[in-house]
Amino acid sequence: MATLKQKRTCGQRCEDFGHFVWNSEEGKFMGRTPEKWVYISLYYVAFYVVMTGLFSLAIWVLMYTLCPYAPDYQDRLSSPGVMVWPDIYGEEMVEINYNTSCQKSWMKMSNNLHDFLIPYNETNQAHCNNHNCTKGKYFIQKTYSAPNKTKWVCPFTQSMLGPCSGLEDPTFGYNCSMPCIIIKMNRIISYLPTNDTKTPPYVNCTITEGHENIAHIEYFPEGGKYDLSYFPYYGRKAQPTYVNPLVAVRFHLIGKKSAKLQCRVVSEKIEYQNIHDPYEGKVDFYLKAMK
Amino acid sequence: MFEMGGGVEVKGGKKTKKEKKKERLEGVKKEMDIDDHEIPIEDLEQRYNTNVTTGMTSTFARQVLERDGPNELKPPKGTPEYVKFARQLAGGLQCLMWVAAAICFIAFGIELARGNFTCFDNLYLAITLIAVVVVTGCFGYYQEFKSTNIIASFKNLVPQQALVIRDGRKDTISAKELVVGDLVEVKGGDRIPADIRIITAQSCKVDNSSLTGESEPQTRSPECTHENPMETKNIAFFSTTVLEGVATGVIINTGDRTIIGRIATLASGVGNEKTPIAIEIEHFVDIIAGLAIFFGFTFFVVALFIGYSFLEAMIYFMAIVVAYVPEGLLATVTVCLSLTAKRLARKNCVVKNLEAVETLGSTSVICSDKTGTLTQNRMTVAHLWFDNHVHSADTTEDQSGQSFDQSSETWRSLARVAGLCNRAIFRPDQEGIPIPRRTVVGDASETALLKFTELTIGNIEQYRNRFKKVAELPFNSTNKFALSIHELEDPLDLRYLLVMKGAPERILERCSTILIKGQELPLDEQWTEAFQTAYMDLGGLGERVLGFCNIYLNEKEFPRGFSFDPDELNFTTSNLCFCGLVSMIDPPRATVPDAVMKCRTAGIRVVMVTGDHPITAKAIAANVGIISEGSETVEDIAIRKRIPVERVNPREARACVINGGQLKDMSSDELDDALRNHPEMVFARTSPQQKLIIVESCQRLGSIVAVTGDGVNDSPALKKADIGIAMGIAGSDAAKNAADMILLDDNFASIVTGVEQGRLIFDNLKKSIAYTLTKNIPELTPYLIYITCSIPLPLGCITILFIELATDIYPSVSLAYEKAESDIMNLKPRNPRRDRLVNESLAVYSYFQIGAIQSFAGFTDYFTAMAQEGWFPLLCIGLRGNWEDTHLQDMQDSYGQEWSFSQRLYQQYTCYTVFFVSIEICQISDVLIRKTRRLSVFTQGFFRNKVLMSAIVFQILLGNLLCYCPGMPNIFNFMPIRGQWWAVPIPYGILIFVYDEIRKLGVRRAPGSWWDQELYY
Repeated sequence: MATLKQKRTCGQRCEDFGHFVWNSEEGKFMGRTPEKWVYISLYYVAFYVVMTGLFSLAIWVLMYTLCPYAPDYQDRLSSPGVMVWPDIYGEEMVEINYNTSCQKSWMKMSNNLHDFLIPYNETNQAHCNNHNCTKGKYFIQKTYSAPNKTKWVCPFTQSMLGPCSGLEDPTFGYNCSMPCIIIKMNRIISYLPTNDTKTPPYVNCTITEGHENIAHIEYFPEGGKYDLSYFPYYGRKAQPTYVNPLVAVRFHLIGKKSAKLQCRVVSEKIEYQNIHDPYEGKVDFYLKAMK
Repeated sequence: MFEMGGGVEVKGGKKTKKEKKKERLEGVKKEMDIDDHEIPIEDLEQRYNTNVTTGMTSTFARQVLERDGPNELKPPKGTPEYVKFARQLAGGLQCLMWVAAAICFIAFGIELARGNFTCFDNLYLAITLIAVVVVTGCFGYYQEFKSTNIIASFKNLVPQQALVIRDGRKDTISAKELVVGDLVEVKGGDRIPADIRIITAQSCKVDNSSLTGESEPQTRSPECTHENPMETKNIAFFSTTVLEGVATGVIINTGDRTIIGRIATLASGVGNEKTPIAIEIEHFVDIIAGLAIFFGFTFFVVALFIGYSFLEAMIYFMAIVVAYVPEGLLATVTVCLSLTAKRLARKNCVVKNLEAVETLGSTSVICSDKTGTLTQNRMTVAHLWFDNHVHSADTTEDQSGQSFDQSSETWRSLARVAGLCNRAIFRPDQEGIPIPRRTVVGDASETALLKFTELTIGNIEQYRNRFKKVAELPFNSTNKFALSIHELEDPLDLRYLLVMKGAPERILERCSTILIKGQELPLDEQWTEAFQTAYMDLGGLGERVLGFCNIYLNEKEFPRGFSFDPDELNFTTSNLCFCGLVSMIDPPRATVPDAVMKCRTAGIRVVMVTGDHPITAKAIAANVGIISEGSETVEDIAIRKRIPVERVNPREARACVINGGQLKDMSSDELDDALRNHPEMVFARTSPQQKLIIVESCQRLGSIVAVTGDGVNDSPALKKADIGIAMGIAGSDAAKNAADMILLDDNFASIVTGVEQGRLIFDNLKKSIAYTLTKNIPELTPYLIYITCSIPLPLGCITILFIELATDIYPSVSLAYEKAESDIMNLKPRNPRRDRLVNESLAVYSYFQIGAIQSFAGFTDYFTAMAQEGWFPLLCIGLRGNWEDTHLQDMQDSYGQEWSFSQRLYQQYTCYTVFFVSIEICQISDVLIRKTRRLSVFTQGFFRNKVLMSAIVFQILLGNLLCYCPGMPNIFNFMPIRGQWWAVPIPYGILIFVYDEIRKLGVRRAPGSWWDQELYY
């Protein structure tokens, strides 16, 4: 035992290691003869080929069992998330800060909205979504009656946002103290936001800080409603050209022209009190205009 | 001179260690250079400024006391408690975890410096790692503390008193206050208070067994008989006991300067050896660290190649290195060892250091002390010779052995002589105690005869009363016989009976007749020769032989009332009638021969190392099987072949008896040679230092050495040994302090149990470690794939900690309850160079085969959970950038649905949970396959290990609790997952089980083949 415990010098250790790497007496390289290395490598190659094969088989079976139109489960998507545009983040929250006198500053905001609205321009919508939908009720489709075995999609055009459409005022009000923001609700397959068809979900923005700085709030389309005909969503495969309905909100800033706001999509089935998901059913943001 | 600075923790270089060793050995030599026993008394008086009749003056005594300090052994410098605790935190695995924790802190620091304030995983990990080390450290410390307490309870705390003569007055003072030069008086039953030179003595005998191992009482007299202070008769040693007689003497050494004190300091100077298991764990840590750095570096390069920044790649490197640390292993090893320690404690082996549990299992040589360990340390009548036959007496401790034929008339006479010519008596009030255990007042051989006659004749006190004693002459060394004269039982018979016992040749001289079958026959040539043969035979057995004779005194010559004067011997003391011989020995314990036999079949060599005489040592060795039947020493062969000893080829002799004198002249190479060439070794007349040398020699030959002993003289060897085993009842405190293990019942056979448990725990630890290591790979691969393929992270840090420290602990511990696969006591001890705890094939098989299958299982389940929630596998690859973007609230999945960040995060937790569940399911299969390494699990008994079964149930229940307990998602990132995701890894679990059964089948069918070499661990 004593020999085992002896502290060896570094030189001896290196020598030992060298002996391990190439043992000339037994013709061993790293503890195995080259022949043995070939065998063990082949064994491992075979092992991993078989395992990868089994894994691929498992994934193939998985994909085979999946439905291409809708996911098996929507455990995490019980209620849709809500987001505001322009989605410019500050430290933690969305902070829409702009300077009316600085073109670069407000152009950042308006460009953001222009980019966001590209899918919604008239030509795009006229080209792909030309179905005439009945407003005010769910557009439930049991069959794939649209071309290429898809389902119809109701068009939503930029112009529906009225003064906030960017058509009349390409600055979206960012060159003055009447900025527009757009509220979008996330889409979830087969999700119906209400139990009945009487009251569609609508956006309601409340001022949480700086009440005195906002004169009044306007919603476009009127009432800030998401029309029921855009629901339910049938998935990318069934509705490849689907666009989410939007609501634009215009604020009249006065005084210090700064406020903290919360815009909530109000509907009986949309949750908004989940403390672990701040974007579920509502979105908070700062709005601040400077001269 | 003996200070070694604690010795244990000193990690001096090679040179200083050697120097210290040299110093120590020289110190030992010096201790022998005492001449106090050789110089005339006058010189001694002058040297110590004392007087042999009136003692010292008390004023001078006070001065000396101030100079030398009190006469007590300084308690061995006990390791301070905080050092003991710190030692628990500094093992191989612990160091690995400290390093990992440090890396975590660094990684956390880097993250913070980069402005990432949300990622606390590294901090949690660091804290957990430290917590694990500290908690297991506390556990180990508590275990040690408990066993130390058991040992401490044995300590004798009664303060000793001594009778000292100062200023011509006798005075009883505390032995602590004695000084060099003091004149003390000791009598039978006292402990000698210091090393003393005898000035006067009357039939004084001392028991030196704790010092030298001799069980025979030693006479002490004023003459200097030997230049060696250990051999001379005029020195009595500190802490030995006076059996009988009285003596006065001058103190020549006190406290730590006494022989015993020096041996005790010698023991504390011997460094502790690292236990084999500690060495194994260090080797294992080397493997782990090597693999971790290799993997980390590989992926560091890969990460740089993919395009990560240097700092990011560095963080990945650290994370991979840390992920390689098996957090749960430390706890597993500690718990497994303490379970075995507990099991051993139930069998009367108390282990002081947890790691010592395994050491016994690796032991290949046991150096056993004779007295008290192999023998009962109690003189017992072993043989009788009468009617021209040798009869064997029952020497077992519980009188369960065979007795001899007691019908002969001669036996009656012999028993009468033995019973009557005996001054020993039992201490009163011992009716309930079995006869062999009763305490007796009297010397060892008379005690043996008393107990023997009590057992054979019956109540000896009454028997003696029937034969009224009228005169007696106690044994003395000039006459070498004892006699007594009794009236006869029959009141009408007015003759006196003279009974005599003594050295057989002296008794024979005085006899003219011999009693054969009740007949008095003349003692002619033929009978003398028969007597000589018997005497030689019994002496050759290492037994002490006494002769017995008697005579009825002529009633005319010695009428009633005759005044017998034992000093003048005014009566017949010749022409007696010889009755027989009785021989005595300190017999081996009943369980020892069997235990030695078991050690032999287990490939363990038992070497006897004793301070006793060679003949006795050899006889006992032969008796217990250390020298097996038919084995001969060189001397035996010489006698058989009738050739001189020099011409015998030493290689022919299996056995060898070496005494201390021979050992002194041997070089260490010669000793190594002797140990190599003779499988059966007995060392006799050895000094404590020589015991140390023998242990060192065995260790040089590559053996793992266990030393058993009880005396102070054994303590240096106990300390030096890989495992020192002390006797709990007979053992001295010094021995217990030096030992790693204590046998509470002093039973050598318990060592065999210890060996068995040690071997079992080695095997089972191997299984536990294999089980624990396996899951390292499925814990690591998610991270590797996360880095290289940018998929959402499949397994989180907290989840890994739950696997390591919660769900998998119980199953890995339950493997400690696994029964042995084969008869482990028929195997050779493991070769510490070859049979490692964790070898290459174990690591490779666990990591790259079973671990790989588990990883595949995890990823299958991960992709299933992702795909069924809307994220197809191909989409997942490269998804990470957007997935982890906290500002992206409408990320589209494969079906076009939009997800907020939190929704994605909970999906990620779902993935953690399914990966966790996959590892759990595969680990259930893993724990089942780890039950055996070679046998089929079905042969071993699938359900036999109940603890393991309950561990599996526990694992499943805990897994369910973590998954489905409300609140878990936000605390520990576990999500309630869908039931079928538990089922996804099951086929992989079955695959693991079947694959391992095939592996075992191959290993069993083709031993030595390529398959066996590569896949058996």
